[in-house]
Amino acid sequence: MREGQPTVLPGFGLTLGFTTFFLSAVVLLPLAALALLAASTPLHQLLDAVASPRALASYQLSFGGALLAACINLVFGFIIAWTLARYEFPGRKLMDAMIDLPFALPTAVSGIALTAVFANNGWLGRYLDMVGIHVAYTRLGVILAMTLIGMPFAVRTVQPALLEVQRDLEDAAETLGAGRWYVFRRVIVPAVLPAMLTGFTLAFARALGEYGSIIFISGNLPMKTEITPLLIVIHLEEFDYRGAAALGFVMLAASFVILLTINLLQAWGRDRMVRRGQ
Amino acid sequence: MSISLDQLTKRYQGVPVVNDVSLEIGDGEFFVLLGPSGSGKSTLLRSIAGLSGLDHGRIALHGRDVTHVAARKRGVGLVFQNYALFQHMTVAENIEFALRVRRVRAAERRRRRQELLRLVALEGMDERLPAQLSGGQQQRVAVARALAHKPEVLLLDEPFGALDAKIREGLRRTIREVQRELGITTVLVTHDQEEAFAMADKIGVMNLGRLLETGKPQDLYTRPATRFVATFLGAANLILARQGTNGPRWGARSPGLHCPGAAGGAREREVVAVVRPEEVEIARSHEELFSSDYLGHGVVEDVLFTGALERARIRLDEAPDAPILAHANADGAILLEATRAQFEQRAFAISPGQDVAIGVRRAHVLPTPLSSFTVCGSNPSAVERLAGHPLLLDLSSRMKTRIRRYLEPTLGGSAPSRESAAALPGTTVIAAHRNVASDAMWLLEQGVEEVLILPEHAPSPQRVLIHWMDESARRATLAASASVLRHVAAEAIYVDVLPERTAATERSFGIRDLLDARSEARVAHGLEIRTELRFGVLAQALTEQLDESPGHMLIIGITSASQLTAELAALLTNPRWPLLLVHRGCEALAHSRSAA
Amino acid sequence: MTAAGAQPGSLDELATRPGRETLLAALGRRSLIGISVGFLAALLLAPVAVVFATAFRNGFQVYLQAFADPDTQAAIRLTLLTALVVVPVNTVFGLAAAWAIAKFEFRGKSLLITLIDLPIAISPVISGLLFVLLFGMRGWFGAWLAANGISIVFAIPGIMLATLFVTFPYVARELIPLMQQLGNDEEEAAITLGAGAWMTFFRVTLPKIRWGLLYGVILCNARAMGEFGAVSVVSGHIRGLTNTMPLAIEALYNDYDFTGAFAVASLLTLLAVATLVLKSLVERAGYRRR
Repeated sequence: MREGQPTVLPGFGLTLGFTTFFLSAVVLLPLAALALLAASTPLHQLLDAVASPRALASYQLSFGGALLAACINLVFGFIIAWTLARYEFPGRKLMDAMIDLPFALPTAVSGIALTAVFANNGWLGRYLDMVGIHVAYTRLGVILAMTLIGMPFAVRTVQPALLEVQRDLEDAAETLGAGRWYVFRRVIVPAVLPAMLTGFTLAFARALGEYGSIIFISGNLPMKTEITPLLIVIHLEEFDYRGAAALGFVMLAASFVILLTINLLQAWGRDRMVRRGQ
Repeated sequence: MSISLDQLTKRYQGVPVVNDVSLEIGDGEFFVLLGPSGSGKSTLLRSIAGLSGLDHGRIALHGRDVTHVAARKRGVGLVFQNYALFQHMTVAENIEFALRVRRVRAAERRRRRQELLRLVALEGMDERLPAQLSGGQQQRVAVARALAHKPEVLLLDEPFGALDAKIREGLRRTIREVQRELGITTVLVTHDQEEAFAMADKIGVMNLGRLLETGKPQDLYTRPATRFVATFLGAANLILARQGTNGPRWGARSPGLHCPGAAGGAREREVVAVVRPEEVEIARSHEELFSSDYLGHGVVEDVLFTGALERARIRLDEAPDAPILAHANADGAILLEATRAQFEQRAFAISPGQDVAIGVRRAHVLPTPLSSFTVCGSNPSAVERLAGHPLLLDLSSRMKTRIRRYLEPTLGGSAPSRESAAALPGTTVIAAHRNVASDAMWLLEQGVEEVLILPEHAPSPQRVLIHWMDESARRATLAASASVLRHVAAEAIYVDVLPERTAATERSFGIRDLLDARSEARVAHGLEIRTELRFGVLAQALTEQLDESPGHMLIIGITSASQLTAELAALLTNPRWPLLLVHRGCEALAHSRSAA
Repeated sequence: MTAAGAQPGSLDELATRPGRETLLAALGRRSLIGISVGFLAALLLAPVAVVFATAFRNGFQVYLQAFADPDTQAAIRLTLLTALVVVPVNTVFGLAAAWAIAKFEFRGKSLLITLIDLPIAISPVISGLLFVLLFGMRGWFGAWLAANGISIVFAIPGIMLATLFVTFPYVARELIPLMQQLGNDEEEAAITLGAGAWMTFFRVTLPKIRWGLLYGVILCNARAMGEFGAVSVVSGHIRGLTNTMPLAIEALYNDYDFTGAFAVASLLTLLAVATLVLKSLVERAGYRRR
């Protein structure tokens, strides 16, 4: 359907009106409240909240950890997506269904469960402890929880890209004489790159905002294992609305940047696939 | 030979999608694999490219056995239906891909790329991205890319499938020119017979995984050997005729139509003749027919103007001596198709409802021995029941032929009367019962040459066992078997049975017979059969094998009707499997040979 | 171009390709499968297993006793109530939004889509924060609400609002691409044949999108019942009153009542597994996610 083309379908006014109203009431109004509160806060007060040493330390953990977790997911997500798309093995269907578990599992549950598994006396933590690796109540634990939470996004964006587009291209490259590694580097990776980057960004965004699963495993030591969302909660609990709003505003800005990045990445991916004359 | 395929078989989940395909393609030849969707032609092409493994068979390219060689080492160029260009690379990078893989120097790559772009008429497009090109241009790039590494063989998988008619035309011409200029052996897969005719030096027609026929376009069109090729390559009227001493006779009145391949023979037998719509002549009356033999009278059903040609469909009169169309058209009506050029339309305009005389300028008799089915029974309900047998309906629709009904009250009795019946055309079908041997014997004595005996419940066969009582029946039995096997998806097994205590020298004769059977099946009919040697009493050994698993059919060649009550008696008491008897006396042999 | 089930380039075909079954390829395949399985086992299977192991470690009786606690029962009731309110509201919203966006062209459409997706990109804590700022004691409407005796934050309405916000996009996001892909032809045909708006919707559109709708509802429900961050900020953690199941888990966990915490967690884990099973069934029934 092109712009300006009339349609006989009814309900445009009703549905669009309802959508916009509901969106405004539930999403836009609260956002405006946050923006206005942050904007009306005196600058020095704002800076105090946003640039306090404790806040800076939390950014370092939140952004750095989310970045690391997204990198881990980029690698392992690709491997898992590849395994699911390319190999037939017993349990493949089960594994495929399981990928979405972090998405379906309430974050509080994954938080306490991860802590139980990776605590020093936990199923896996016990063995890691022997080699001197401590996961629970350290920054490593934070990254682990962030990895878990972002994993489905990394897998689910790459998987269809690997499944759909690539078979013919690989066949073509193979008949042209390319070896498998060459095909992988020069054909597969460039073709799924937009999907991989989208997955990376989604995983990063999710990890950055994650709260529930992290606060159980992190130990919440100020300056060390305290993530920014937790700092916001602490401000709120002290009824420091302006401090919370200021930090919230920083996070929100980061979310907008990420959202923009995703949209640009998707537009880029689409552009490369557009075929004129079809 | 540039490409040579030897007995390729590829199964998916047990079902053969490529079934025993052997093929030789010469140097510099433009070969077109033609077939409907699902006929296995794409899979065959992908096997040649090395993209699809095989269950059986060997592939050689220029004398080098590449059966187990990876696709990238085969030196083939493959063009896909949906172009499969690397979207993130420019046209130049796409074309140079194969050269880059081979570490060719940049200057040489550029030279080669420019040469190829000139060849496909895309000069100056080097730096475009595929997304900036039209479909036709993208496919040209794909062709150039496939040729960059100077492959020995170019493979094209439905390359025009995604393009519209005008662009298709231009690209066809380009590909043909490029192929001629480079002299590269080329295989193109398509389902479009017009495209096949336009491009091919040679065509191979595939259906149900089998390669049915190969030949020059002209030959396949004018002299097809199978019903499928006759009807798939252009329109065809299949007409049942009687082959006598002087060629096919349509009705009772018109002897002596000239027809290639028809020579002497003792008695008339029913054959299937292919008459192309453009070989049908229409005139006001018999006398005004200009250059052809008289076929009969009919009424014009409808006339369709299609530009250069006019298509008419004519309902033939149903006189007792009128010619009979073998099959119904797509809409179920049994109508003769004719196409007429402008000058014919001017000479004699026709309109629906008009009574016309019909002549045939040229006809081609198919070598198949199974022309049509005549169901025979002792009472009307038995005839109807048999005519509605699922296996028979299946066979007749796949063979595009008709089932006639014939009432013969003496059948089924313990001692049928010895009175002579009217000549039964085609393959006679009777129901299996305890005493079916005497029915069959009586029919054979009436001059019937093929008898199909159907038990009440017979599934579509998965294995067809073949046996002949005497070497002189081999040729006819194989011809009938080939005809059946082209229309059912079944394995063929030739079984020879030797007596239990056979001397070693005689055993070796038996084995030689098996080899002869195989090679004749392959050479004369393009049919691959397996062979088995058994020991024991004939009827008993065959019964044992038939009972091993359900879904068998049996074809037996006999030389005398008396064999039915002697060696084969045990097989013929209440048979539980479809059984086709092929009877040829020595004199009939020369005749069936001449039709091929 | 081949018979059913015989796709060129299928996994089966790939494995039979000449030159494919080298030792290196087999080794590579095994190690990649091994890595994937190991990664998922440590990150997904072990936590799920530990939930049940801990919940049942003191026996079935103790497990059941965890649910006898009135606070826990209240939490379960509140979670169910929240889902019962939020999911239908968001379903209606999703249908309306998808209809407007997929069936019509208008300016600002892509902005609208982005805004609908926004709650997914926002940290749940911030989602909660928004409502505190709006309805909290010192929020925009705080004074007015207090004067009229209406409590939203630290009460059930706040929990519902926060959950509504967080699960806002799920149904719409599933339906918009699906309806765009299906096109308008059938609806237009129905209208030209004289069908009314509701009839067109219920007889033509709804049957076409039912699997996608179900998919979105399942996801929305899972998120609504399991939401922690946003709800945690607005709830005030009043036991027996404003604690949902995830909050009850936190409370029990912080009291070192691990069996109780994991018992409640086991219920939510079952919910997650059921969600995945349902999701797989829907996918098998013919609805494939993009």
